Amino acid sequence: MDIFQQIHEAIKYLFVQRAIIAGCFMALGCSSLGVFLVLRRFSLIGDGLAHVSFATVAIGLLLRAQPMVVSIPLVALASFFILKLNEKAAVYGDAAIGLVSSFGIAIGIIIASTAGGFNVDLFSYLFGNILSVSNFEVWMTVVISLAVVLIVWLFYHDLFAITFDEEYAQVSGIKVRLVNRILILLTSLIVVLGIKIVGTMLVSSLIILPAISALQVVRSFRSTIILAGVFAVVSVVAGIFISYFLNLPSGATIVMINFIFFVGSFLYGRNRG
Amino acid sequence: MVEVKSLSVKYNDIEALSKISFKINAGDYIGIVGPNGSGKTTLVKALLGLIPFTGKIIFQSENFSESDLRRHIGYLPQKMSFLDQRFPATAKEIVVSGMYCRKKFPRRLTDKDYIAAEAIMKTLGIANLKSRSIGRLSGGQQQRVLLARALVHSPSVLILDEPTVALDPQSRETFYDTVQKLNKEKQVTVLLVSHDIASVGKYASKLLYLDREIIFYGTFDEFCKSPKMSEYFGTSQHLICHRH
Amino acid sequence: MFRKAAIISLFIFFLAAASLMAKSAQDKKKLEVVTTLFSTYDFAKQIGKDKVNVTLLLPPGVESHTFEPRPADIVRISKADVFIYTGKYMEPWVEDMLKGVPNKNLLVVDASKGVELMSEEDHDEDAGHEEDEHHEGDTDEHHRHHEGAHHHHGGKDPHIWLDLGNDQIMVQTIADAFIKKDPSEKDFYLKNADEYNARLRQLDAKFKETFSGCHHKTIIYGGHFAFGYFAKRYGLKYVSPYEGFSPNAEPTPKAIAELIEKLKASGTKYVYYEELLSPKVARVIASETGAKLELLHGAHNVSKDELGRGITFIEIMENNLKKLEIGLECK
Repeated sequence: MDIFQQIHEAIKYLFVQRAIIAGCFMALGCSSLGVFLVLRRFSLIGDGLAHVSFATVAIGLLLRAQPMVVSIPLVALASFFILKLNEKAAVYGDAAIGLVSSFGIAIGIIIASTAGGFNVDLFSYLFGNILSVSNFEVWMTVVISLAVVLIVWLFYHDLFAITFDEEYAQVSGIKVRLVNRILILLTSLIVVLGIKIVGTMLVSSLIILPAISALQVVRSFRSTIILAGVFAVVSVVAGIFISYFLNLPSGATIVMINFIFFVGSFLYGRNRG
Repeated sequence: MVEVKSLSVKYNDIEALSKISFKINAGDYIGIVGPNGSGKTTLVKALLGLIPFTGKIIFQSENFSESDLRRHIGYLPQKMSFLDQRFPATAKEIVVSGMYCRKKFPRRLTDKDYIAAEAIMKTLGIANLKSRSIGRLSGGQQQRVLLARALVHSPSVLILDEPTVALDPQSRETFYDTVQKLNKEKQVTVLLVSHDIASVGKYASKLLYLDREIIFYGTFDEFCKSPKMSEYFGTSQHLICHRH
Repeated sequence: MFRKAAIISLFIFFLAAASLMAKSAQDKKKLEVVTTLFSTYDFAKQIGKDKVNVTLLLPPGVESHTFEPRPADIVRISKADVFIYTGKYMEPWVEDMLKGVPNKNLLVVDASKGVELMSEEDHDEDAGHEEDEHHEGDTDEHHRHHEGAHHHHGGKDPHIWLDLGNDQIMVQTIADAFIKKDPSEKDFYLKNADEYNARLRQLDAKFKETFSGCHHKTIIYGGHFAFGYFAKRYGLKYVSPYEGFSPNAEPTPKAIAELIEKLKASGTKYVYYEELLSPKVARVIASETGAKLELLHGAHNVSKDELGRGITFIEIMENNLKKLEIGLECK
């Protein structure tokens, strides 16, 4: 069976189609934020907010509310707190994330221990899988990712200025605090959704890896963002098909391909001198 | 052109600047000098609207609004670590970002902006660097790129904060020459912050000596002849003035 | 804001600790029993009734395969008279943990003693995994399928309690343990054990009768591979997309696709999902095939609500029977 036949076999399944669509849009959303986050040392925000999600979903289940409804605003709040630590307490991005993240996990564990149990397993609720995306989740991913990409496009120059030289951006009249908040808010949104839909590992990887790979091939800023997007989308599509052919878990395969892209970019970037 | 009236800046009950008043005329080249911690950078930040202050800054005889200030001032910050090796941007992207102060949201750059960027880069002799990545340029080249960024929107005032600290003597000379040219040929008013009075004295038309308040404001000659400054500096005054 | 949150958290912590201590202070004269799984928890309650105080280590809603004991759990175990676990394949953490428990009076009961364990190959031979006869393509493809999708690594299936025959052995083991610890109540425990086993036999007969005349013989399961023993006992086929015996691994796309094809091939209109976990995979299969979803409860653990209304093991199995009756179109 040649490769086209195999692709044809795989793609006739609805779950594969949904995985590809949701995955591609999630890739676009994550990677467009990724370059800015990585350059500002907020790379691990995906993991960090995942830990906070753990607490917020526990709270949601405890209150018998829709966990997402509770989770998104609370995670956004946590992300603002991370920002504040960065601004006021001069705590570096990664340390601020670590602080809030540990706090979130600890609260989550305490709640989980003292709540007397839930009706569903907390972890299973929290962590999605790209192969089990529902139709509704596909729509959500498309809408939210497009919104994220649109907002990044609108604020492209502001984000560029702030990322390169925050002080100069301020002098130029850019509303630095506002734009920072927007960036972190978009990140919380896509992380919370992404965790539920495709799982923590994939969200975190799609934020960090395509960006880092693109940064190896340093040319212009614009091309870096576009390249990150390309790496992300291609890794998702290739990952899903390859995991199908080789009978591997899809999420991990996508991450592996991202890693291969990184190695390739690194070698390419190094040879260019 | 710019009048600073009774400007004071307080950090946590410590007065970093105390009732600074002076005038800047168009075409001036003012060296802002003083020991470390004297408030030179604080003054710059206040002029740029980065920190709160009491007092007034009057620009061209009208009380300025923030947007006016941005359009008329070009700023070359003290080179900080933001220029880390791997920042993925071409020199051209950095230079053209100097045009942001003229834009409102949503900021869009036009062809005109890019043409202006190319022009200023040509003027400063770095046109060949436009597609090069900023992280891979030499210190002197990076400084010129940032200078281009400061000048691309044709400001009437250029503020430079310790611009030659990280440069080798050769690059330093080149830099000062460039700034001198801008001042003389393009009538750009220059405010240059430095701790090196002797170097600054060579080019500047006026010296503003700060130590939390204005110790001296006048020409370099006046500085060397001033008895007050002899008292203040003691023997080192001769050293500084002798070089000139 | 941080301060407030920290104080509240500490407060909750102390509240929980206090309530724990209060509860354990009450029932002093009864036999203190700790179990690791809902099934053994229920058995212990049915055998010991009011002469025992049984605690289930798993908090409601928690998935059993990833459970790790907390310090409070280890304390509880060390203070108990009897500790019942389900064998080293289900709870691999027990052996190490016991090394650190100093209580010489603690009677540790391995409920899987005397039960014949099966490995994956055993399941494959009998009714377990169905060889894919319907797949299009050459023998190479087929061979790769079998190796890739279903090869396990020699572990034993720990889900012994879903075979009603095994349960009777387990009940006897537990009763023997109670008698050893509390010989004065020997008759009481034996009587209860016998009564309960009779009910299990009755249920078993009902299962056998129902499954003898079903239109379909294959259980399509979206959860992890828990019903191996169950399927074998009643001559049913059983398919799950998960590798291994725990729901931790991710199912591969091919495994899901296979399940879809199997469902279509078998003609059943129902796909089953497991308890407590989000039924994601089952939903995928349902959406692809138009099948309906039904719960097949593996009795590892129960939800908070279920525990609240006093659900029993037999009730769970009876519900399973009803659901399978519908799905497999029996009688």
